[in-house]
Formats: sequence, structure tokens, C-alpha cells
Amino acid sequence: MKILIVDDEQDVEIMFLQKFRREIKSKLLEVEFAFSGQQALDLLSQSDSMDVVYVFSDINMPGMSGLELLENIKSKFPQIQVSMISAYGDRENYNKAIKSGAKGFFTKPVDFDSLKNEIAELLTNK
Amino acid sequence: MTFINLVSLFLLFYLKRSFGTELEDKLKKYLNYGMILAGVLAVITNTGIPPVYLYQFFSFLLVGVIIYLIVNTPAFEEHKNLAITPLPIIAVSLFRFLVKLYDEELYESIDTYIDAAGVFAFIWAVTMWVNHRKEIKEKKLEKLIAKEKERQFHIAQEKKNELERLVQERTSEITKQKEELQEALDSLRATQEQLIQQEKLASLGQLTAGIAHEIKNPLNFINNFSELSQDFLDEIDEELQKIPHSSEVENIMDLLGDVKSNLGKIRHHGSRADGIVKSMLMHSRGGTGSKDPTDLNALVKEYSNLAFHGMRANPNPINVDIQLELEEPLDKVELNSEDFSRVILNLVKNAFDAMREKIAAENGDYKAKVTIRTKDCGENVLIEVEDNGPGVPDEIKDKLLMPFFTTKKGTEGTGLGLSITHDIIKSHEGTLTIDSKVGEFTRFSIMIPKKKS
Repeated sequence: MKILIVDDEQDVEIMFLQKFRREIKSKLLEVEFAFSGQQALDLLSQSDSMDVVYVFSDINMPGMSGLELLENIKSKFPQIQVSMISAYGDRENYNKAIKSGAKGFFTKPVDFDSLKNEIAELLTNK
Repeated sequence: MTFINLVSLFLLFYLKRSFGTELEDKLKKYLNYGMILAGVLAVITNTGIPPVYLYQFFSFLLVGVIIYLIVNTPAFEEHKNLAITPLPIIAVSLFRFLVKLYDEELYESIDTYIDAAGVFAFIWAVTMWVNHRKEIKEKKLEKLIAKEKERQFHIAQEKKNELERLVQERTSEITKQKEELQEALDSLRATQEQLIQQEKLASLGQLTAGIAHEIKNPLNFINNFSELSQDFLDEIDEELQKIPHSSEVENIMDLLGDVKSNLGKIRHHGSRADGIVKSMLMHSRGGTGSKDPTDLNALVKEYSNLAFHGMRANPNPINVDIQLELEEPLDKVELNSEDFSRVILNLVKNAFDAMREKIAAENGDYKAKVTIRTKDCGENVLIEVEDNGPGVPDEIKDKLLMPFFTTKKGTEGTGLGLSITHDIIKSHEGTLTIDSKVGEFTRFSIMIPKKKS
């Protein structure tokens, strides 16, 4: 299973790779990274990335915001699930995200246990 | 000899006339008697009824007395010169009288000379009298001028007094106005300072919120990576257990233990910083939430209870007697329960922390007690949180509500609790006052309106 993480903070990549080290090592999980909304869309458009099933995206990013990315993905790749991650746990963003079809909404600092559970659920449902 | 009496008459008449009505009655009476006497003597001497000499002698005596009186009476001071006017006439007459009395023959032979002397004496007297009149007139004029001057002086004095009074009045008016202006200026200055302070705080608030957000992301990395590294160290430990034991392996395990505890420290202080950042964000967010009618007593009960159990679950629990003195029934109060519950939590937690210090300092019969009251005050509701802790010294009372001011030691407090509390109360249009007596009690009193204005 392949997931895509979108965040303008590059260290997120290392963090996720380390967090899901075991899962990646055992090939249960494949993780892709994009550092902007546009890059994420480009990546999803490539044929070999079509198997991405889940996107986790930050909301506050320069250029395309996470919410815009969410709408784009939902219109172009409706089969892909998307969850938002935001430093601002405010109701406004939450409502927007859910309305636009986000599956989940995580606030920073990310609770990796709940994230793992979310992914584990996906894995078992597969 | 009639002449002497005429002189007397003239003198008396002149004196009487020159004084007019100013003369006192007693003197006037004397002058009248003198005039009558002179008249009688003049008539008698003229008729030649004997003894003529005696009457003539009386005439001299009368004129002598008159002159004596003129010279010696203070009231006739200015007419002193008058006394010498008739002296030559009197002298000549007296001489004639005496010569006639003792030697009639001698008198016959020098009669012409005496007459001539009489004429001269008369001329002299007239001259003297004219002089005297002139002098008196001058004196009168002088007197008049002096009187006028004095009158004018009085008028000037009165005008001056009036002016002074006016000036005084105006001065006090101006002084009053000046004081009022000064007061207004002072209050304006105070308001301005307050505004500047608020402006500063507002921009500080925005800055803080900005900083808090910017710091939050790197802080998350610090916390996450240290946590991850701790997990990895656990895994490393597991792997190391599989290697046969040697002193090198022991050494590595020791070192890794230290690294792990260091990571624990990083994690601990990272979450501390995270707590501060969260409080700062809460602070700058301000009271934006909606306000709904709320059962304040229920809120107070719930959150004081929560604070108590939170305190008991944390390190350093203390034994506290919590007394609720809640007024029942209490009208519902319009407030943001999420924000306002923080107020109760913060104040009760603060009370616990203060009393913990006192318990530590005073290992004896001290029994920690927190009293929470609610009271219906008509338009407003009063909420009091009172502890019998160490109290707040006056010098720090003002600073209590300032952001980042804390008396808690080391890493215990962020210095934002009371500041946030105050902000929330202000956003409810309420007031927070602090009463305290060092060593006895601290009481936080909150007054908020039941309804939004």
C-alpha cells in the first residue's frame, strides 16, 4: 500500500520514514513525499504513482494550500482518500476539510499512534 | 474808652462768626456772655455814670481775659495771631487811662501824642487783622485742599480695594480652572499611557501569537525526533541483548542509557515549551467564543472538582479542604463556559500551588482550605476564590496579572495562568480584584454581568 505525505517541512520525510520504519521494511507500507501541493499533484499524475491510496497533507503551505490540494485530488482522483494535518486546530479549517471530503483531520503535533491506527485500518480493509 | 469794648465785641464776634456752627455750645455761650458784657460796658462807660474808672478798668480786664483765652484755648489755636492784633490799641488806651487817672495835667500836655499813637496802633491793628484774615483764608484753603486730597485718596483706596477684590476673585477663578485643567490633563495623560500600554500589549499579543505558531513546528520536530530516538534506543537495546556480554557491550549499553535519559530530558523540556506555546496561543486568541446562558454553580462545582482531582493525580499532592458556598438559586449567567472553566481551574490551581508552599514552609497544624463562593448581586454575579495560603505581598500584587510573571520555582509555572484568566474575565466585561493579607489569605473576586450589554 502506498501513501503520500505532503508537507513543506522537509524533515517530515525523515520523521515518517523513521516512524514507519518497521512497516516500510516489511514492505507493508510504501511512503512517498511531496513538499508542495503542486508536486503532490504532479506525482499523483504519474502512472507509477496511481496506486497511492491515501494522502496526508499539511494545510498551511506556500503556494497551493492543503485545502486546495484536497479539492484537486477529490476532483481528479476521487478514489484516493485524503486526511488533513494542521497546526491550527480551529473549527473553521476542520469544517472546510470535512466538507471537501477529507477522511480525517489531525492536529499537530501529530499523534502517531492514531495515525498508525488509521493506516493499520486501511491495511486490514485492503 | 468805648473803643476797648468795641475791640472786645469785635474779637468775640469775629471768633463766633469764623467758627460758625462748628463751635461747641459751652464756648459759644461764653462768647455770647462776653459780647453782652462788652456791650453793657460800652453803654455804661459812654453814659459816664460813676465810677467811670471802675467800668473802664473792667473793660481792660474783659479785653485782657479775652486775649488770654484766645492764647490759651486749644480751640482758638489758629486765631492766636488775633490776640496780638489789638495789643497796641489796648496798650495806648491803657497808657491814656493810667496817665489820666494819676496826672490829669500830664495827660493834657501829651494828649496829642497819645492820639497819634492811637492812630498808629489802629493802623497797625487793621494791618495785622488783614494779615490774619489772609492767613486764615490760606489756612482754610489748605485745609480744603487737604480734605479734598484725603477724599480723593479715600476714593482711590476704595477703588483699589475693589480692584484687588476683583483680581482676587479672578485669580481664584483662574486657579480653579487651572486645577480643573490640570486634573483633566492628568486623566488624559493616564488614559494615553493606558492606551499606549494596551496598544503595546495588543501588538505584543499578535507578535506572541506569531512567534508561538512559528515555534510550534520546530518544537514538534524536537519532540517527535527525540521520542523516535527513544524508541530506536529500545530497539537497539533489544538487539544488544542478543550479543554475548562483554565489557564493551556493557559500556555501550551504559552510554546508550545515558543518551536515552538525555532524550527523555529533551522530550520533557520540549513538552514544557509546548505547554507555554499553547498557553500563549490561548492568550492571544482572546474571548472570541460565543456566550450562552450557563449554570455558573454547576460549572464552579465541576471545575473545582476537576482541579482537585488533577492536583491529587499529579506529583506533590496536598490535602485541601474545599468549601463551596454557592448561592442557590442563581440566575443563569451569559458566559463562554469553555473559557470560563479555565478561570475557575486556574484560580483553584493557583490556590493549591500557593498553599503547597505554605505547607512546605510550615510543617505544623496548618490546614489548607479553599473557599469558593458565588453571590447574586442583581445585575452582576460575584465569584470568589479564597485560600488561606501565604498571601500576596503588596509589591507583587500589581504584577500578578502580567504575562510571564510567576513566583513559582523552576519549571512549575509559565506565568500565563493569571494573565489568561484576567483576559477571559475582561472578555466577559468583568473585573478581577485581588485582596490579600500576607500569611493569612488571598482572595480573588470576579464580578461579571449576568447579561451581555
